[in-house]
Amino acid sequence: MSPGRGEQGPTPAARLHGISKRFGPVVACDDVELSLHGGRIHGILGENGAGKSTLMKILIGLVVPDSGTIEVDGERHQVADPLDAARLGIAMVHQHFSLVEALTVWENVALGDAGRLNAAAVRDRIGDIATHYGLGIEPDAVVGDLPVGMRQRVEIIKCLRRDPHILIFDEPTSVLTPAESEQLFGSLRDVIVGEGRAVALVSHKLDEILHATDEVTIMRQGRVTARMPIEAADAQSLATAMVGRPVSLRSERVAFRLVDASPGLIDGDRPEPSEPSRGLHAPTVDPAGDSSLAAAPTSPALQLLEVTVRPGSGSRSGASGSANGPGRSLLDGLSLEVGPGEVLGLAGVEGNGQRPLVEVLSSLIVPDRGEIRVDGRRIDPTTPGALTRARVGVIPEDRHDSGLVLDMTVAENLFLIDMDRVSDRGLIDTRQLRDRAAELIAEFDIACDGPDAALWSLSGGNQQRVVLARELSHHPVVLVAAQPTRGLDVGAIEYTTERLRAAAEDGVGILLISSELEEILDLAQRVAVLRQGRIIGEMDRVEVDIERLGLMMGGRSA
Amino acid sequence: MGDVLNAVLDVARSEVAWINAFTFAVFLAFGATGEWVAERAGTLNISVEAMLTGGAFGAAVGQDLSGNEVVAVLAAVLAGLSVAAVQAHMSHHLTADQFVVGLTLNIGVLGLTGFLDSAVAPNAYRASAQRIPVLADIPLVGEALFNRSWLFYLIYPLVPACWWLVYRTRWGLEARAAGEEPQAADVSGIDVNRRRRQAIYLTGITSGLGGAYLVLAVVGRFGDSIVGGRGFIALAAVIFGGWTLRGTIAGCLLFGTVLSFRLSLAPLGHELNGDLLASLPFVVTVLAMALFATRVRAPASLARPFVRGLK
Amino acid sequence: MKAEAEVGVYYLVSIAAALLLSAALVEATGGSWADVVGALLNGSVLKPGRIGLTIGVAVPMLIVALGTVISTRAGLVNIGQEGQLLVGAAAATYVGVELGGPGPLVVVALILAGVAGGALWAGVAAVLRYWRGVPEVLTTLLMVTIATQLVGYGLKNQRFLLAPADGRANRQQISEQLAEDRRLGRLVLLGNELPVSVFLAVALVALLSLVMARTVFGFRLRMLGSNARTARRVGVSEVRYGGAALVASGAMAGLAGAVMLAGGNFGNYTLVPGFSSGIGWTGLLVALVARQRAVSAVGVALVFAALRTGSGFLAATGVERRITNVVEALLVLALLIPPALVFLRHRRRAMGLSAEQLRDG
Repeated sequence: MSPGRGEQGPTPAARLHGISKRFGPVVACDDVELSLHGGRIHGILGENGAGKSTLMKILIGLVVPDSGTIEVDGERHQVADPLDAARLGIAMVHQHFSLVEALTVWENVALGDAGRLNAAAVRDRIGDIATHYGLGIEPDAVVGDLPVGMRQRVEIIKCLRRDPHILIFDEPTSVLTPAESEQLFGSLRDVIVGEGRAVALVSHKLDEILHATDEVTIMRQGRVTARMPIEAADAQSLATAMVGRPVSLRSERVAFRLVDASPGLIDGDRPEPSEPSRGLHAPTVDPAGDSSLAAAPTSPALQLLEVTVRPGSGSRSGASGSANGPGRSLLDGLSLEVGPGEVLGLAGVEGNGQRPLVEVLSSLIVPDRGEIRVDGRRIDPTTPGALTRARVGVIPEDRHDSGLVLDMTVAENLFLIDMDRVSDRGLIDTRQLRDRAAELIAEFDIACDGPDAALWSLSGGNQQRVVLARELSHHPVVLVAAQPTRGLDVGAIEYTTERLRAAAEDGVGILLISSELEEILDLAQRVAVLRQGRIIGEMDRVEVDIERLGLMMGGRSA
Repeated sequence: MGDVLNAVLDVARSEVAWINAFTFAVFLAFGATGEWVAERAGTLNISVEAMLTGGAFGAAVGQDLSGNEVVAVLAAVLAGLSVAAVQAHMSHHLTADQFVVGLTLNIGVLGLTGFLDSAVAPNAYRASAQRIPVLADIPLVGEALFNRSWLFYLIYPLVPACWWLVYRTRWGLEARAAGEEPQAADVSGIDVNRRRRQAIYLTGITSGLGGAYLVLAVVGRFGDSIVGGRGFIALAAVIFGGWTLRGTIAGCLLFGTVLSFRLSLAPLGHELNGDLLASLPFVVTVLAMALFATRVRAPASLARPFVRGLK
Repeated sequence: MKAEAEVGVYYLVSIAAALLLSAALVEATGGSWADVVGALLNGSVLKPGRIGLTIGVAVPMLIVALGTVISTRAGLVNIGQEGQLLVGAAAATYVGVELGGPGPLVVVALILAGVAGGALWAGVAAVLRYWRGVPEVLTTLLMVTIATQLVGYGLKNQRFLLAPADGRANRQQISEQLAEDRRLGRLVLLGNELPVSVFLAVALVALLSLVMARTVFGFRLRMLGSNARTARRVGVSEVRYGGAALVASGAMAGLAGAVMLAGGNFGNYTLVPGFSSGIGWTGLLVALVARQRAVSAVGVALVFAALRTGSGFLAATGVERRITNVVEALLVLALLIPPALVFLRHRRRAMGLSAEQLRDG
């Protein structure tokens, strides 16, 4: 809309110079230099924990740097809060939405502005932007009623309304189908970049960076390790710069979110781990390598039959948002089966029922209809904790929500599920608790100040290990892993993936729920697609092709 | 039982009874309207009782010292604001638990006003009624609504003003966002706790007015149990009303009527047991909440403190 | 340790500020703070027999506090102890007066009645919360007034609580006094009379600490209070555990009421109007100040009890009694600030670490 500003030329639209920021002992950014130019999409690549999100938060005014300067169009400026950033023409489309569900679209778009509230003006502006960019939306719709893809549109409109010169997209594709992602990058390129705005695309996915950006800055542990135009980059060089060591893309592609589009793993052709991480036992590579090996009982580890959850039912524990609008079931006659030692990957865009499914399996909500069987036995979901007691392990998407108790000690968290194991007639045997916790801490290599350390003092990766340790040591029949590697750095991703693989080999049925195709394609033997609360397609890993999967995820059944 | 039925019928037909009913309803509405705004912003202030008490005492002292009603009301507002300031800063700045702070304020302010009352002993006073012609001639309720003191009339502009504030202004939008999803509001550049504090100040102001109304226009002097737990009923009215202003006012009308019932009986010659009757408003409140609580939707972040960086 | 010293300083400053404000208040209204302090000390510990009285007042406060610890650590907000205590006392009065039989048996029975009364009163709030979703903070609160009115009504009726006419002065609305063999015994130690209920209180402190820290039940209760969803996942039924916690805290308050009656320090073994005397409120504050730790509650209860018994001597100084309520409130507020500051800093840093690390720090 406003051409001319920040066109490609010597003066960058935005320049961050010498930015440093620490949070306590952790260095989030260390002397970072970044320049964004108008008309170009600049990728910022780094694994989780590299500092890219903090850097963007500094640019948008949510975090104040300890040192360094920010220049906009060649002039130095202070960006002390989001309002400053807005005034300078900097806007961000957030990773975790910044929308208030209870308010309407126009109210959300107006949120954060200054001055008198003029509903009509806001509505008009929304209309203008929507037509110009092809982002149709109803201004008076309540955001809570909108599906996830539409919500991102609201975010984008909210971003564009102030006519920003600089747009930041923070990991935008986790909630999009592959087709939608393409579309997003297409419009980015055509319309926004064509108007001379500068775009920063933050991502930890190599594919995305390679396909959608013009130039890339790579960060690692708070520092910039490389900077290059995209023509000069390839997956290998990017990955190496990301982790600072030579990588074998083949074995680490999950961690780098490289989709392996090749038609499936042939059993036995399993990649070796790139380097033995501490505390890992080497996975047994079995040439016949699949589920049928485990001397298993013949009944499936987990069976769901026509499970239905309607909105507003049974979950006073906090609503699982529905992407389908009001009135539509959160889970709609969902049926699936996981065999012992089998990994079933459940693919699907966020918001299609993943959360309600995990909640049902975590005994957090009771389904309105349907049957659940674990190890062949029917489970009554109305009994509190029934599924947990039936040995359904869960690695939840948000460990703070239902996986851990931050105020308790590591030991207590490790034995949450069955404190009875270390008790005698109702009294906790603290010595046994501590000893066995110490064992687990060693086995899973959890970095902490001992079993009595408070859980909130552990880092995110180590907290995840506590969850893993607890669930695995409880000898589950089936393990539900929901987005298990989200938010983890490469090392932690590898570790978790290996642990899951090992568990499957031990005969544990694994239900892997993920919106990251790479994760699923790497681990799963079968892949199913979840859409609008039901399974709309299933196939063996060997039969998978990305396009077909993507179509299913986007709503065209196979 | 027949006794009770007759009593109710007589009361419903009596003009005086309506006057009493609206007296209490309006008193409750002063507190409840402010608290409604505060709860929409995500705070729960059981210290409304303390704000009302403080306001009442402030009005008594103000009236005593200046002999001027307006000054007295200003003093009341100031007192209510002071109590609100303590609540606001301790809970939404220093992250102390808002129930604890509210409770402590109730105890402390009650003690303080009682203590000062015996030391200062402000004089009694009763504001006069201002009759609005024509409107006051409406049968049954005319006198009750339009032949009251100017303090009573304050509620008429106050309620729509608060409605407009919450739904039509930017401040209101931000306050509502703070009460529903403070993280999202924060990311959008809104100072969540500041909005919450401001909402509590508003409660202090309206409660100050309520206290002034009570002392100057209803009772005539300050006394130990002048508020007597009715601040909590104002809180309940907000829940009863499903966090809508309309519902809250309806709740105030209902609870006000029940509160006044006892008062209206005597002049009509009825005599039902005093203690049981005194508990009736509270029993009705509890029952009303029991009936309606599941059907209503509270602001998603109600009574949940917000600290940036913590979920 | 630097951090601990820092907190210590915060506490000292806060408490000093609270005391200073109180002093200013007293002086401004014509009293003498020195006199007030002297009276408080005399009334609570210095004069003969007062320590025993202070302990006797601390006992029910402590019991109420212990009950509050249970409900708070389960994640509930019970602020109706004053009402639960009163109902417990009323139930105990009824049983203590009406029941025939040997003294010791009646004492046990009346204590149980107190427990039951308080449990019932809190039980109503529990039912309303878990069946109808009404927040217990409001129901317990409103039920305090209901309790006061109902017991007041009971005290006007000989059928319920009012003593027969010849046992009291005309127009006095009090219950019959507990017969001599139906009272809690007293221990005389160093010139002080201590009610036997002291041992009960101490035993309860030990029991509660043990249950909370070392039992599976206590563990699950704490889980419920810290993270209800995780608790639900492992099978902690919110209704059962939460309901039990709420009822238990009411039961403790009721127990306190029974102990107050049979201990004699309040109303002389008689249920009188205003019997609860704010013990319920103060007990609640004790738990809050003691940060929900049973053992700390002992010390805090003694301090608050001292304020109360000390205030009995204030009349001579000409300063109105209610100043102690103000001091109480100021102290509580002052004591809330340091931990809040520490929490903010500490938790934020630690959470900031893991939150940032996982959210792409």
